[in-house]
Amino acid sequence: MKDEAWIGIPVRRTDFDDKAEGAAVFTADMALPGTLHARTLRSAVPRARIDRIDLPSLPEGYHYVDRSDVPGSNIMPNAISDQPFFADGRVNYVGEPIMLIVGPDRQVLSDILGDIRVHYTEEKPILSIEEAEAATGGFIHGGLPYFVSYEYGKGDFERAVSEAAFSVEDEYRTGYQEHAYLETQSMLASFVGGAVTVYGSMQCPYSVKESVEAALALDPENVRVVQLPTGGGFGGKEDYPSLPAVHAALASMKAGKPVRLVFDRKEDIISTTKRHPSRIRIKSYLSPEGRILARDIDVCTDAGAYAGLSSVVLQRLSFSVCGVYGVENLRVRSYAYATNKCVSGAFRGFGGPQAFFAMEMHMEHISRRLGRDPLAFRRSHFLKQGGTSSTGGLLAYPIRLDDIADALKEASRYDEKAALYQKAAASAGCRKGNGAAPLRGIGLSMFFHGCGFTGSGEKDTLKAKAKLRKNRDGTVEILASSAEIGQGSLTTLRKIVAKTLGIPIGDVVHSYPDTARCPDSGPTVASRTVMIVGRLLMDCALEMKGRWKEEEFEVARSYVYPEGLSWDNDRFQGNAYPEYAWGGNVVEVEVDPVTYEVGVTGVWGAYDIGEPMDERIVAGQIDGAVAQGLGYASMEVLTAEAGRMLQDNLTTYAIPTSADFPRTKARLIPNPYKEGPFGAKGLGELPLVGVAPAFASAVGQAIGRQVRRLPVTAEYIMRLMDEEADDGD
Amino acid sequence: MTIRRPLSLSEALYMRQGADTVLMAGGTDLMVKHRAPAGARPSFTKDVVLIGHLKELGYLKVYDDVARIGAAVPLAMIIQDASVPGYVKEPLMSIGSPSIRNMATLGGNICNSSPAGDSLTMLYALDAVLTIASAAGLRECAVSDFIEGPSKNRLAKDEILVEIAIPLMDYNRFFYRKAAQRRANAVSKVSFYGVAQVSEGRVGSVSMALGAVAPTVVRDRAAEAMLIGAEADGRHKLSERALDHMDGLVVPIDDLRSTKAYRRRVALGLARHFLEEVVGL
Amino acid sequence: METEVRFTLNGKPAEVLADPLRRLIDVLRDDLGLTGTKEGCGEGECGACSVLVDGRLVNSCLVPLAAVAGRDIVTIEGFRKTSRFVLLKECFADEGAVQCGFCTPGMVLAAQALLSSNPHPDEEAVREGISGNLCRCTGYSSIIAAVLAASKRGEGLW
Repeated sequence: MKDEAWIGIPVRRTDFDDKAEGAAVFTADMALPGTLHARTLRSAVPRARIDRIDLPSLPEGYHYVDRSDVPGSNIMPNAISDQPFFADGRVNYVGEPIMLIVGPDRQVLSDILGDIRVHYTEEKPILSIEEAEAATGGFIHGGLPYFVSYEYGKGDFERAVSEAAFSVEDEYRTGYQEHAYLETQSMLASFVGGAVTVYGSMQCPYSVKESVEAALALDPENVRVVQLPTGGGFGGKEDYPSLPAVHAALASMKAGKPVRLVFDRKEDIISTTKRHPSRIRIKSYLSPEGRILARDIDVCTDAGAYAGLSSVVLQRLSFSVCGVYGVENLRVRSYAYATNKCVSGAFRGFGGPQAFFAMEMHMEHISRRLGRDPLAFRRSHFLKQGGTSSTGGLLAYPIRLDDIADALKEASRYDEKAALYQKAAASAGCRKGNGAAPLRGIGLSMFFHGCGFTGSGEKDTLKAKAKLRKNRDGTVEILASSAEIGQGSLTTLRKIVAKTLGIPIGDVVHSYPDTARCPDSGPTVASRTVMIVGRLLMDCALEMKGRWKEEEFEVARSYVYPEGLSWDNDRFQGNAYPEYAWGGNVVEVEVDPVTYEVGVTGVWGAYDIGEPMDERIVAGQIDGAVAQGLGYASMEVLTAEAGRMLQDNLTTYAIPTSADFPRTKARLIPNPYKEGPFGAKGLGELPLVGVAPAFASAVGQAIGRQVRRLPVTAEYIMRLMDEEADDGD
Repeated sequence: MTIRRPLSLSEALYMRQGADTVLMAGGTDLMVKHRAPAGARPSFTKDVVLIGHLKELGYLKVYDDVARIGAAVPLAMIIQDASVPGYVKEPLMSIGSPSIRNMATLGGNICNSSPAGDSLTMLYALDAVLTIASAAGLRECAVSDFIEGPSKNRLAKDEILVEIAIPLMDYNRFFYRKAAQRRANAVSKVSFYGVAQVSEGRVGSVSMALGAVAPTVVRDRAAEAMLIGAEADGRHKLSERALDHMDGLVVPIDDLRSTKAYRRRVALGLARHFLEEVVGL
Repeated sequence: METEVRFTLNGKPAEVLADPLRRLIDVLRDDLGLTGTKEGCGEGECGACSVLVDGRLVNSCLVPLAAVAGRDIVTIEGFRKTSRFVLLKECFADEGAVQCGFCTPGMVLAAQALLSSNPHPDEEAVREGISGNLCRCTGYSSIIAAVLAASKRGEGLW
């Protein structure tokens, strides 16, 4: 078959062969002569002053590296910059890095680490949203218990409330989620002659570069960052890697040799970023006919010990929590509370999973309360093209929610099953479940994902740039900082360029990004790589095509904020995102009446991602995202006790195995987006954000109870079933 | 600390004399318990004596209604053996993963002595008898006498567990279930194992064991005794009495995996399912 | 204290002089430069470190060097030279069963171990066969499809 990069039709991934053969060189596989190893000393307590550290003397060739070795800034640049690279006299979470021990032999490093004694004066930690809310002093940072708080509105909230006939109010809670990428955080730095090269596992080479420049006080031309094959990211390698990158770079600078830092799994789970736990309260005000007139939404997230990306996550959560519904009167307030636990940060969905869990469960609740079909009730409130988003931004493009809902209904036979299971639930009375037959339920969810960076980030902060280079031999090279983390960007971006130029995909070269050669196209996050960076590359290719006769040249393009969009970052009004991807899920379950364990008997998804660049890559992203969503919904329990994660290995932190869930039956609803390359919107996060409420609703129907928290464990199901049913469910 | 690889059982027994040693067959528990970070050596505090390769511990024979299994036979081998009945294999199939089952052994499970050990409920219910060797010779011990508590057992410093003998009876009722965080590769939150022999509508024998609800596997012989000779009439009277008695023996805890309330409820719920739905009491 | 341990590695005799308590994964990766075997958890949970010992799938992070004396070890570097691998690789490609690639060598060896003992597995048997190999990217569906495809297309190979 001719190797043409047809859009949509699958091609063999360009990174496939090395990975299949075990030949892909991940950071821990990479060998530079003389490389030293490093281990990190981390805080054992959630909040304390460090009084002193008893350090054993070191053998020749071993070094300690700590705050005193940072020539530049000890604060990591981020959305809000408050996190030190090395603890500076105090610690704010269990796992916070204090210092590095560097040397040639890992046994010796382990022994030294075991001999170090840190003397702390502990302080009273703040360990939950509630504790932070209640605190009147002793805040972790500054004068407030939260890092940021937001408030925005729409319409005339007070008047709508006064016109309402009744209200429905709910509170929902979601827990932590750990990325559990198979490859732990890994960095390898080599400092030579006043310049450093950092190789590693990451999503954002330029973020790492910025941090290394800041900490080592080096000029940009003296810091080079090279992404290596990366064994999964999911947001956990968005900002966190700057810490080990800086650590390794400082260590290399001090030791005069390359230094490799690879986390072990326990260390990774305990100390790296996590999905924000949330508490979301929604109060909907309805007309006598059951039309939602207004909503009042209160969002709290548990942001951990440093601000990190919590402001951006909270923004996305706040904009998404209103759901796929056109409710004209809104009041939304949100807070990202500081607690003495590991930093909460980016994780696929970025506030979306929390938002849609709350809103979709709430809509389910209202529909049951009104005795209305859950899908019909949702449909009657769907957003429509020409309407406005929660922040008043015009929804200019077609919205295919009805098609998504229809596709799901048909594929899953939702109506028939929902009626059957609802009837069985009603007749089973108090649902003590003493029979052998499993309890059945089916649940659905509708959701969106705003594609691209939140608010005016693309325009004001990222200012993405991409380049194409035509070589003498007729090959074309992509120069962009987008990182291949398994999502197929090395392949999809090549397809876009090859298709635009009309050349075979084999003639397009795209290597892992190297900041020495690639411009800053922005981070590999927010489902923006194809839609934003791919579009820049397509524009480069269009120009290149016109100049194809030239032998050797480069074309560059910078991001242009689409006309017609606007964003007011102070009042949160306007287009929070340039465009949205839309989706829906149906999940069918059986609950074992004796063990309360849930078996998933069917999963369906329908998605509008514009147009697929490669159907097989799209299917793989959907499958993986749904599995992560089902894990989030059911089995991924991560609890902190006295500020320390209890589940600190892959035995106790359970992610799905091949035995756990059936395959997802997915359908794409075409809806080409004219600003995206070949009609593409964003894909990576959308298929995760709505899975949990579909699962939880299904369980709720099966057991005849309202499910209000994630994860929906067997223990929680048992507790719910022991309580009286409420709301005539 | 070092690791030694004896060439025979008698050499292994010799190594067990003198300084304290720890025995390793498959290593699937020990290598985790003593794990050190990558590149550092496992953190054993005693010398390790490998016994997984010893032919004397690697046999599996079923005859005269007894399955005699060498202590170092990998679980996968037991599962693959056609002469081993399903009611012995099934709990083993739920342990770990295919690679773990290729290395893990019954001897290791028993000497690890975990209250949640999936093979242990089966061994307790079937009254498995252990043969233990030392330089002085062989002795036998019931598995329920051998295990004393979590990670505690009666293996002396100079002894090696060499065989597990499982009496096989013509059970015609069997039920095993474990509740866990996910469907594969998970430690039990709570588990139940039951076998019975019912003929002409009456219970000839019944044996039940509960896992992860007490410091050791729970075998309630008094409850079982109530049911011998009982009519499988579906009226649930005797099963209620038996379950009530079992409830008194179960002392589950809260831990990072589950809660005491869940463990109690599910252990007894599974026992009820066995007695009422499977045995028909 | 170092000991000499002899075994067969990818079809050839191997001799390693090392601390016999060292984990097999460290010997393979650090001493022998065979980095296709990955460490994902260090406690036998994730399967990224899977190798074949006497044809059976084991977690090399749980095996001390001394335990492989006299055994036949195959890593991904050895297996990828076989015609079975060629077919598995094609099936993985056709089904899109590789995303980040970190679990892949272990998955491939798990597939080989499964098909060796069960050349015509049904879907449930495949799910069970790879149940000790965690993947966070694919949700497993494409990998299951790839192994089923290999068993159908691989008449005579296993």
